Parts: sequence; C-alpha cells; structure tokens
Amino acid sequence: MGNFFSSMFDRLLGAEKELRILILGLDGAGKTTILYRLQIGEVITTKPTIGFNVETLNYKNLKLNVWDLGGQTSIRPYWRCYYANTAAVIFVVDSTDKDRMNIASKELHLMLQEEELQDSALLVFANKQDQPGALSASEVSKELNLAELKDRSWSIVASSAIKGEGITEGLDWLIDVIKEEQM
Amino acid sequence: MSAQTYKKSEDPHSGSLPDKMAIYQDCLNRFNESPVNPKLCRTLITSLLELLSHGETFPRQEATALFFSISKLFQHPNDSLRQIVYVAIKELCGISDDILMATSSIMKDVQNGSDLVKPNAIRALIRVLDESTAFSAERLLKNSLVSKHPSICSASLVSSYHLLPIAETTVKRFANETQEAVGDLKQLPYPDENSRYYPTTSHISQYHALGLLYQLKNHDKMALIKLIQQFAGHSSPLKNQLAQVQMVKFVHQLVLKDPNSIPQFLPLIANWLQSRHEAVALEACKLTASLSNLVPNDLFAAAVSVLQGFLSTPRVTTRFAAVRLLNKISMVSPEKIVVCNPQLESLVNDSNRNISTYTITTLLKTGTDKNIGSLIKTITKFIHEVNDDFKIIIIDAIRTLSLNFPEECDTILHFLMESLQSAEGSLQFKNSVVEALIDLIQFVPQSKEKALEELCDFIEDCEYNEILVRILHLLGKEGPTTKNPSLYVRHIYNRVILENSIIRSAAVLSLSKFALVKNDPELVESIEQLLTQIKTDSDDEVRDRASIALQFIDSVKSKKDVSNIAQNFIRPTSTYDVVALESKLSHYLSQGQEAFKTPFDVSSVAKYSEDEKKALDLKRRQEQAFNHTEESSNSGAGNGNGTEKGGRKGDRLDDNSFNGPSLESEEEDLLLSKYVDEMSSLEQFQSFGKCIHSSKIVPLTEIEAEFVVKGIKHLFDEHVVLQFHITNTLKDVALDNVEVVCQQEGLSEGLLDEQEEFVLPIERLLPNEGESCYVSFKKLTQNKDDIIVERFSNSLKFQSKELDPSTSLPFEDDEGFQDEYEFDSLFLSPGDYMKPSFVSNFATSLEELPYESVSVYNIVETNTLQEVIDKLVISAGGLPLENSQIVSHDATQHTLKLSGKCILDNTKALLSIKMIKTSKGIAIKALVKSDKESLAEDLSNNLI
Repeated sequence: MGNFFSSMFDRLLGAEKELRILILGLDGAGKTTILYRLQIGEVITTKPTIGFNVETLNYKNLKLNVWDLGGQTSIRPYWRCYYANTAAVIFVVDSTDKDRMNIASKELHLMLQEEELQDSALLVFANKQDQPGALSASEVSKELNLAELKDRSWSIVASSAIKGEGITEGLDWLIDVIKEEQM
Repeated sequence: MSAQTYKKSEDPHSGSLPDKMAIYQDCLNRFNESPVNPKLCRTLITSLLELLSHGETFPRQEATALFFSISKLFQHPNDSLRQIVYVAIKELCGISDDILMATSSIMKDVQNGSDLVKPNAIRALIRVLDESTAFSAERLLKNSLVSKHPSICSASLVSSYHLLPIAETTVKRFANETQEAVGDLKQLPYPDENSRYYPTTSHISQYHALGLLYQLKNHDKMALIKLIQQFAGHSSPLKNQLAQVQMVKFVHQLVLKDPNSIPQFLPLIANWLQSRHEAVALEACKLTASLSNLVPNDLFAAAVSVLQGFLSTPRVTTRFAAVRLLNKISMVSPEKIVVCNPQLESLVNDSNRNISTYTITTLLKTGTDKNIGSLIKTITKFIHEVNDDFKIIIIDAIRTLSLNFPEECDTILHFLMESLQSAEGSLQFKNSVVEALIDLIQFVPQSKEKALEELCDFIEDCEYNEILVRILHLLGKEGPTTKNPSLYVRHIYNRVILENSIIRSAAVLSLSKFALVKNDPELVESIEQLLTQIKTDSDDEVRDRASIALQFIDSVKSKKDVSNIAQNFIRPTSTYDVVALESKLSHYLSQGQEAFKTPFDVSSVAKYSEDEKKALDLKRRQEQAFNHTEESSNSGAGNGNGTEKGGRKGDRLDDNSFNGPSLESEEEDLLLSKYVDEMSSLEQFQSFGKCIHSSKIVPLTEIEAEFVVKGIKHLFDEHVVLQFHITNTLKDVALDNVEVVCQQEGLSEGLLDEQEEFVLPIERLLPNEGESCYVSFKKLTQNKDDIIVERFSNSLKFQSKELDPSTSLPFEDDEGFQDEYEFDSLFLSPGDYMKPSFVSNFATSLEELPYESVSVYNIVETNTLQEVIDKLVISAGGLPLENSQIVSHDATQHTLKLSGKCILDNTKALLSIKMIKTSKGIAIKALVKSDKESLAEDLSNNLI
C-alpha cells in the first residue's frame, strides 16, 4: 500500500521522475546516431553497438533516460531484458533497406505484444531520408502494418539523423503523448 | 525488510553472511528502479560481492538476471557507483551468460569516462571480450596503453596480458606501445599543492609492461636479448624494483636455455648484486647460485658475501630468503659458503622457526667430517628448546648426514640415542629417530652392533608399542648374524616376561629367528626351552606363535625340511612388493562375490629378496632426496626447466611426513604393472610361459608429438616381446591397422630371429585414445641364460582416416591413406637383464668376484659428467652405491660404482666406471666383475 501512495505522489509531483525511453530497430538503422544527435546535437562516428548505450538527457524540463539497444540478430533476444518501466519506444527503420522491411515489421510486432510494453507509446522514425531511394513515411508505415496497431498511441516521422531533420519533431510528439497519458 | 537485512550484514558481531536470496531480490528490485539510488545500490553490490568472495555462487539463470539488472546501473553517471559496477561485472562474468551485452557501455567509459573509472572499465572490458569482439577494442586499448596516467596504463597492460590467450593476434599488435610503456616514467597527474599528500608513483606500470612484452617476445631469443640490453645496465630506465627483479629472471631463463650466453651478462649480474633494492640483489644471487659452475669464482664469492650481509638484517623476509638460498647452495657446493658459518650459527636460535630450520640444515651440509662432531654438539644443546616438528626435521637432516659420512657414525649414533632416551618427545619424534637408526644399521654396517645394543637398552624402558614392535622385529632380523646373538636373546625374552600381549607376540617371532643361528647348538637349545615356557602364556596369539615356531624349528633340526620351507617361514628371505600387493588386493576385493571363488593369486606380485629390498630402499631414499632438491630449486628459479642437476644430495626439509616412494615413481610403477597386465592377459602370449622381466617404460617420442609412443621390453624364456603403447593426439584423425615395423640392427648375431614372429596391430585408434601394439621375436638360442642385446629401429605404419565431425567416426567411404611415422629406436641393453642389488662393502665384493672385463669409451659430445652418469645408471641397470651417482659441478673425474644381479640366473655383477673429463670430451674406463664371464663381457661391451 505504501508503495502505491509514494508512486502516486511521484506522479503528481513529476519533478524527480525519469522517463525511460528505448530506441530499438534492426542493425544499421541509425539508433546510436539518433541517441547522440539528441544528447550532444552532433553526428558522431559509430561502431555496431555490442550491447547497449544509455544516456540521460534533459528535454523540456523532463529527465529522459534513453536506452539505445544494439540491433544485431544476436543481440535482439536481449531487448526484452530492458522492457520494464518503459514509457515509450522509438523504433528506427532504415527507409532504404526495402529487403528487410518484413523482418523489421516482424520484430516490431513481436516486441509490442510484450506485456511490459502495453502502456508505452510508439514513435517510428523512417530514417535515412537523405539517401536516394528512401521510402516515404507513409510507405514505411504500410510496410510495417502500423495501421493494425490498436489501443496504442503511435506516430511515424520521416527523419534524417545525419542532417538532424525530423528528430525533434518526433520527440516533441512523444513527450506530449507521454505527458498526456501517463502523468 | 531490506533495511533489516542490511543492518544484519553490517553488524560486526553477527559474523554471518547476508542472506543470499534476500540480496538477490533486493538487487533485482533496486537496480530496476528509476531513478536509481546510487548509494543504496553501492551498498547492495558490496553485499553481493561479499557473498561471492565467500565462495557463494548463483545458478546461471539467476546470475544472468543479476548481470542484466546491474547493467541497468549504467544509466547513472556517478563515478563511485560505476566503479563498483565494474567490479561486480568482473565477478559475474564467470557465472553469467550473455555478458557481451555490457560491451558497448564499457567501451564508452574506456573512451570518455573519467580517469577514476577508466582503469576499472578496462579491467572489466577484457572479461566480456571474446576473440571476435576483441578486434573492436583494439584502438581503445592501444590508446590506454600510451596514456600518461599510470593507473590507466597499468590496467590496460595487465588486461592485455590476460587478453593474450583469448585474442592473440590483436594483442600482438600492441608490441610497440608496450615497449614505450616500459621506458616511460609516468607520474600521477595531481595538482602541485596536493601532491605531497599522495604517495609518489611506484612506476609499477614498468613491471606490467615488461611482463606483457616478455609474453609477446618469449619465443624469439634475439628479441629477448635486445630487450635486456635495452632496459638493463647502467642507463636503465627501470625505476621499479619488481621490474628489475623481472629483468634478472629473464636473464636467468635465457642462460638456462643457452649457457654459452653467460659471459655477456656477467657485468649486468655484478651490477645487480650491488643493487640498493634487496629483492633485486637476492634475485641476482639466486641466478648466480644456479649457475655456480658456469660463473667466475669471484662473482660467486660476491654473491655469497651479499647473502652473508643479508643474514644479519633486521628484516625477517630478507633473512629467510638469504638463508634459504644458502641452503640451496649448500646442497651442491657446501665448501663455497663456509665463510657464512659464523653468521649462520648466530641464526640457529632465530625466533623465526623457518629461518632456524634452514640454518641448521645448511650448517649440517657445510659440515665436513672434521667439524660434524662439534656441530652435533651445538644441536644437542638447543634441540631441547624447540618443538617436535622442528626436531623431526633435524633428525631427518642427520639421517641424510649419516648416509653421507659413514665414518662419523659413532657421533651420530650417540646423538640419536641421546634423543631417543631423553624423556621428552612425541611418538612421531621417537619414530623418526628409530627410522634414522634403522637406516644407519642397514646402510652403515660398521655401526650395526653398537646401534643394536643401544636399542636393546632403549626397549627396557619404552612406552610406545609401535616402536617396541619395530625394534623387536629389527633385533630378530639383524641379531642372529651378529657376533654375540645370545646378548639379544636375553633382552628379547625380558619383554616376554614384562610386556603386554602385542609385544609378547612380536618377541616370540623375533626369538624364533635366533634358532636358525648356525654353529651354536647351545643357543638353539635354549631358544627351544624359552619357547616351550612361552607355550603356557595366558594369551592365545602368543601361545600359538610359540607352538608353530617350535614345530618349524623341529623340522629344520631333523633335516626333514628339504626345500627350506620351514626355514623360510621363520626367516623369510623375500618380501612382496607392498605397493603392487595392495593394488592387486584392492582390485580383487572390488570384483565381488564371483571372483572370490578363485583364491587370490599371490604369485603375480613381485617378490624382492633382502638385497633387492635394500637396494630399492636406498634408491628410493636417494631419489627422494634428489626430487626434493629439484622441486625446491625449480620453484625457486620460477620455471619448470629443471636443468639444475647438481643438487642431488639433499634432504626433505619442507616435507615432514615420510611417504615412501615419491608419487611419480609410484604412478609410473602402477602404469607399468597395468601395461604388463594388459600384455599377459592376451591369448597370444599365454603359451610363452611366465614373463621373466619387463623393462621400465621408455619414451620413444616427445610428449608433444602427434603420436606419442612409449616402449616396454618384455623378456620370456624363448621370446622377446616389444610392447609399443601409442597415443593418438590428433583431434580429427583416426588411425586404422596401426602396426610397428621393427628393424634389427644385428647386434644379437644370430641369437634372435631376424624376422618377427608376429605383430599384433591396433585395429583402430581414435583421437585421444591410447592402445598397445605388440611385436614378438623368437630367440634362436637354446640356452635361456644367454643375454641378447639388440637395437630396434622402428616406424609406425597405419592408414589415417579423417573423422566425420558429427559422429566422431571415420567417413564410411573413406579408404584413408597409408602413412608412416618414424620414432626413436628401442635398445634392448644388458641393463635390461640387471636388477639393482645391494652390497654393503663395494671394494671387497669387487675383489672377490672372479671374472673381469674392461672396456674403454670416449664421448666427444660435450656432456657434463652428471649427464653421462645418469645415462650409465640407466643403461647398466645397477644400483649406484656410496652416493657415486652424484658428482659435484667442478669435478673433472669421478668413479661410478654400480651393483646388480642378472635376472636370468641371479649372477652378481659389480661395475666400477672411471671417467675423466678433458677438453676433448669424456674418457670412460669401465671395469665389470662378475661370477660369470659372459655377463661381465656383455655388460662392459654394451654400456653406451
């Protein structure tokens, strides 16, 4: 009971609360680049993530705990170890990688079925829009069957982590949804 | 609830560990919280680490859950929390799955973390890396290697060292950075005003760099020499004393492999001896000591004087190291450290027992026949002041002494008797004294009567049953052959009157042996009278023994005892090989009811006559002394090279219990008897009759070879069987139809059929399996006492087949290809026909033997005398006497004395082999004397 009240107070005050956000997606989609774009506002050279990166950033008076998990096939099974207490999931898709859209879609829907993620919002970045031949946001949305999603706030935003386009817009939407639904 | 758990674990009086499951639950809950409470988490991890360090462990699943929950703490930027997280990750890596999940996060800290967490991050990083991921960490590690911060540099050096076996190719690319790190003097980057509060850096990273560099270069001798030239000497950049010690060790290893390189290092060694760091000087002394015969005398003297100086330092560790080293030198060349005796004598009463023990044994070694008397007097004075364990060590040292200085046996005997009769001392102590006396009686004949008399006095007043029984047995064994046997009879009979039934029974056995004394019917008669009286004893066992002894004596006297059966019962001339008997018996017992229907076959156990038994005992004792020295010198030199053959004389200082033969020789004996059993159980050899003799196991290949072959020679009345035990060490190849082709070199001259009788091949040899292939030859001679000497050159013939990895069996359709493999030749030497036997007086026995044969050899190879002696002992198969198998380093001539008996007809043979070392090689003159002419000739002609 005491636990319940204290968490109630936390929710009301909101100040010390940290929001957990996961960045997921297939390998090479640009997850780590997006994370550091958010944190230091620059493009850094990255290596394939073995494991995960975690950074804390302040965004609009909120403390965000952003977890960027590696996307390689060998690491995907461990995503679920980090699902608990997650406010939102950012799913990053390489819009030029048409061959693996179906794999991305499968991983996405598999993940969303998890009990622990029932209340979290979903933001999809259709990334690498700066590349020629990239699918548009609506095409990606179709490939991923996003329309099927029920009982969940979701959105898809076209983005380019290299150029810094679409990232803030996406995050703004996410924060608004979280504030509205969970706080 | 959790708060209570912490209280409990923090209570210093509780002394118990925190509850494992409570900690586990708390960890999972707290670490998954958001935001995390760093202080709480640190306390929790501390408790977790406490559990782990006490040997508690978690099942894989739980450990993995812990690992993942701890990995979530990476979200918190607190440095102290991060440090302990790394320690926890390091600990969990061994028991948890999926550790690679932490890789990226750790790498980030190695790259961008604060100086505080970087070293910890590096150490944790190498735990999560494997061969494939190590590559991605290469850049990071290289950067840390050249870091100006000593802790970061050290951490990356040590980590690379541990990474080497995992990812050799990656670490090999660090050579340049490591080389730089050796010479670089790194300072901790503290601001000036604070630096006085911190210790100045120890330059420990130099030591770490040197260690890694050595690992990278140790296969390349030239690179190693260059390394030493670069970093040792006058302008050495090495400030750290451990690094300097390490340099000395590198030189040590180099010169052990290549003694010719010693001269170029002499100035360096001289320099190190004068080092202001004691550890460096000690290491240099150790190096000098191990090279005693290869370095100039003045350098050796310098090392001894350094050690001498250390003997009087106030630091216990230094004193200990110095005296230990002197003790080692004393085993090889005691004369060189006599100068230290005054200092050593003052250490006899050192408050540190280890030091005083080493001191005593050293002093006993440096003793010559002139001052042994006074030494023993010194020991007599203080032996009362020390405890029993220490006393036993001293007694053992004296026991060795008695074998080396037989002419001093009077003094030693006196000392031993005094120790035995003194009121103090435990059973173990008395027992070791009695053992020393038994040795003395066995191997130093001139002390026998006196020692026996003293023992008689001792048993008049001895409270230990075990010792009494041993002494009674000894009296019975040795007494009848002395000048005045009746003296002992009186003492033994006294025991029958005065003691309990156990001792009475032992005394009866002992008494009955005196009845066999020749030429003294009076004595025999009185023994019979005594035994008749004993027949009325109150104890069953005592009465029974007396009656049966009387029966035996009666049949011996009445000449009915044709084949000496009764005599053998009273006084057995041979004993069983106890080790083999034990293993056979336990095997028999483990077979269960079915096997008990057939009685145990004792004839399969080897029997030893008294001389052989003595020979074995002496050999064992010598080997033990040798092994002990070898062991201690190896551990001292810090490498398993074992080239120090000089220190053969020694005693077992660290080893308080006398465990019979050393483990290795015992294991080899067991292995041999296993092979022999395998052979004799084969159908093909049943018709050959009993195997007369099986040689020792001879290695015919290097143990690292693809196929490891060991050979054993079995001799039968009409056949010679060679057993080749072959082990296939290849991982993915099976060998089919393995057979050994033996080619004779024709030394036997028609005594042995050139064509083998038959070969028993091995059908299939799978990886890591070992089986035996047999080759049998028929003797052509009718006379089974002829000694056949032959050298067989061998090769292995087989079809090799690749294995199907899924079934681990050869592919069905693979026909394999025929292959051959050559290995060393097997020499059936005259030594194979000899067994060791003991004679108490070599010189007179040599005189007495009728036939003699002399031959002369010249060995041009530059072997040391010791190497030649070792070879001769094996090839002649005799027992070395009077410690003649040991030669001091600087000796130029030596005489090896061997004694043995032929296994075919028990003919005695003695060998006296003189050798002289000159600049051209070693000249050997072997004199063999024997009861049989042919044996003497065969032996002398085929020694080498």
